Amino acid sequence: MSVSLTIVLPGDEIPSSALPKPQNQKKALTLGPGLRHIPPGTITTTIAGALVTDNKKNAAWIEYNSGRYLPSTNDLIIATVNTSSGEAFNCFITPNTPLATLPHLAFEGATKKTRPQLPPNALVYARVANPGRDSIPELTCVDASGKGDGLGPLKGGMVFKISLGMARRLLAGRKKGEVVVLEGLSEKVGFEVAIGRNGYLWVDGGNVKTTLAVGRAVQEVDEQALGEKGQRKVVERVLKSL
Amino acid sequence: MAPLPTADLTTLHRADGSATYTHLSHTIIGSVNGPIEVQRRDELPSSATLEVNIRPAGGVGTPRERHLETLVHDTLRSVVLVEKIPRTLVQVTLQVRSLPEEESGGADSSTTASSLTLLPHLLHTSLLALLSASIPLRTTLTSTVVAIPRDGQGMLVSPTANELLRRRPMRSIHVFAFDGEGKLLLNESEGEFGVEEWDEACEMAEEVCCKGDGGVGLGEGMDVDGEGQAQSLEAWLRGVVGRKVEVEQRWRVAT
Amino acid sequence: MPREAEISVNERAFILQALQEDIRLDGRAFDAFRPLELSFGDEYGVADVQFGKTRVIARISVDVTAPLPERKFDGIFQIVTEFSPMASPAFEVGRPTDAEVILARILEKTIRRSNALDTESLCIIAGLKCFALRADVHIIDHDGGLIDASCVAVMAALQHFRRPDVIVEGEKATILSIREREPIPLSILHQPLCVTFSYFEEGEIFLVDANLAEEQVRQGEVIISMNKHGEICQVAKYGGATIDALALLNCTNVALQKVKEFSKTIQKRLEEDAKKRDAGGLMAELSAENAR
Repeated sequence: MSVSLTIVLPGDEIPSSALPKPQNQKKALTLGPGLRHIPPGTITTTIAGALVTDNKKNAAWIEYNSGRYLPSTNDLIIATVNTSSGEAFNCFITPNTPLATLPHLAFEGATKKTRPQLPPNALVYARVANPGRDSIPELTCVDASGKGDGLGPLKGGMVFKISLGMARRLLAGRKKGEVVVLEGLSEKVGFEVAIGRNGYLWVDGGNVKTTLAVGRAVQEVDEQALGEKGQRKVVERVLKSL
Repeated sequence: MAPLPTADLTTLHRADGSATYTHLSHTIIGSVNGPIEVQRRDELPSSATLEVNIRPAGGVGTPRERHLETLVHDTLRSVVLVEKIPRTLVQVTLQVRSLPEEESGGADSSTTASSLTLLPHLLHTSLLALLSASIPLRTTLTSTVVAIPRDGQGMLVSPTANELLRRRPMRSIHVFAFDGEGKLLLNESEGEFGVEEWDEACEMAEEVCCKGDGGVGLGEGMDVDGEGQAQSLEAWLRGVVGRKVEVEQRWRVAT
Repeated sequence: MPREAEISVNERAFILQALQEDIRLDGRAFDAFRPLELSFGDEYGVADVQFGKTRVIARISVDVTAPLPERKFDGIFQIVTEFSPMASPAFEVGRPTDAEVILARILEKTIRRSNALDTESLCIIAGLKCFALRADVHIIDHDGGLIDASCVAVMAALQHFRRPDVIVEGEKATILSIREREPIPLSILHQPLCVTFSYFEEGEIFLVDANLAEEQVRQGEVIISMNKHGEICQVAKYGGATIDALALLNCTNVALQKVKEFSKTIQKRLEEDAKKRDAGGLMAELSAENAR
């Protein structure tokens, strides 16, 4: 990924020279967030950010890091249970948005008798099954084969707010997102994390001090946009304090 | 020519998007929440609902604010891609923080020239807050005021409150807003004027808003912070957004 | 229906557990405020107050009207708090929430009823003309502690404000604009400020300046208003849970110390602002002219 940024404003037309040059000509062009296609052949932006292209995938999208989270299929998120109705939990994906449904049976190994009991304001790590652009959003905690794969109710621990960009970086993994802070910390202390694309990080370090230290370290990396060296320094300082 | 406005994006923590904007001693704080759940009675089946709240520096909203709200609302409706986020609410709140001394004048508030002079500032602030909230937009906008003095000599483009005060009363005041392609989005005129005068005013406003635009394509390596800035509002807007994106992408180049 | 998101059970349990272990999420001590930031605008009577992420702007404006018939010798002073969706989408215009009502009441009791402002000095001609002063409180960003921040903002703005001068000739009063004559500071009798204590664990734990998450978890609050001389103007306790009477005494001691600190900061900022305005001694020259 190139470092030089092409900054775009809403309404800017993307010339064909700026679009990705696919190695495989047959692959259709994929437009990601922030771009729209006006037939026949015009591509314009809808948000302000940096234009990013991927030649291998023949994809282009706009990178941005502000605003509210908009659900998209298969995103992993941390949802808050609001109420439980006959067959599903109604959950908040972000505050003040319509509630999403999470069926009682959409948990690993759940049957009518063993379905989980979640009180209001409990946290669930879930996958977006349907972003609900034209209906009610739907969540699930199982994949096609019925496996939970780490999804499900989050017990204990603490959630920390992080920016949407940071959540994307954390989920993209070490190479692409250049985040080493969690890895560095995990060499010395044990903790569990769950990263929600909706801007939440759940941490359970077994005790208050560890949980707080991990959560705050990630928030610090996020707020100061630290690179690898900066993150190592944070890790060192945090480990010393524990 | 008047100096360009200064603006900071995402200055608030709670709102989804926000901007603090200062120009000619007007300071406005704008915030955007959205897309959020809309009340049933306001829900539109195929587009988003926009809600604009203008809060004066002192006192509660008056018909003057309601009028400005309507103007801002109607302009923003053609800027926001409302059909992309149907059945949601986008809430825009504009808080006037400070006004020029001439307009806030306390006991002798008779100097308040026209409510129109505030309109370009409100439009700019709301656009910046929408950009900060990453609400899908069709285009951007730029706006300015043109005032024609009584003698018709020397039109004032984007005048300061002091200039307006010294040369009052104005014969007519015009507000123009243009979209990113330089098309006219809004015109509000008050006072007495002829067609030729209006034409001239419109041309002058266009010059201030979108001059030197069009050549700024993606292929030509845009230098947003370059020295030889075309001093149009369009170029200014690009600079503000450029700084925002740079801050967001800092981590890519950070060590 | 826009509604305030409730805090999750995980966060609630964690915050309470941390408090048991003497830890606040942002690492502050139990009796520590977030740093107070105060700045003034170009105009007289605008104060911008920040406690961490909470931000409040107070603005004073003045008008001339007839005094109330039952208070012929008094000017009018009014504090207006109206929440806007800026601070939270849950705040609706024209539909006050409980928090808004409590804020308005506390400011009323703390500042207006304690006679912080000498309203008699706002009278121009008894029974005929007086100044009507208005303090608008704008909540810009909300992360808890609105009452304390609003009170600091209003008191700082009042001290910063200058009202226009006035000439009275018999029954006729002429208001002189700011450009015509150096405006006059208000007559402030004392400077009451609020300190809010949030209590947890049946009053075992008291926090000052709780942030929004802590406010959502607390059992109740005690709001103490006093001036730097230790004179209490108002005490309010909301929330049903009981607390020990002696704990209240302890709160007043802490409050006094905080109020003294805030008063000092306000004073310092006012002096800095005055110095900035006085650049070149222009103001001194003008006021000398006025004296003649």
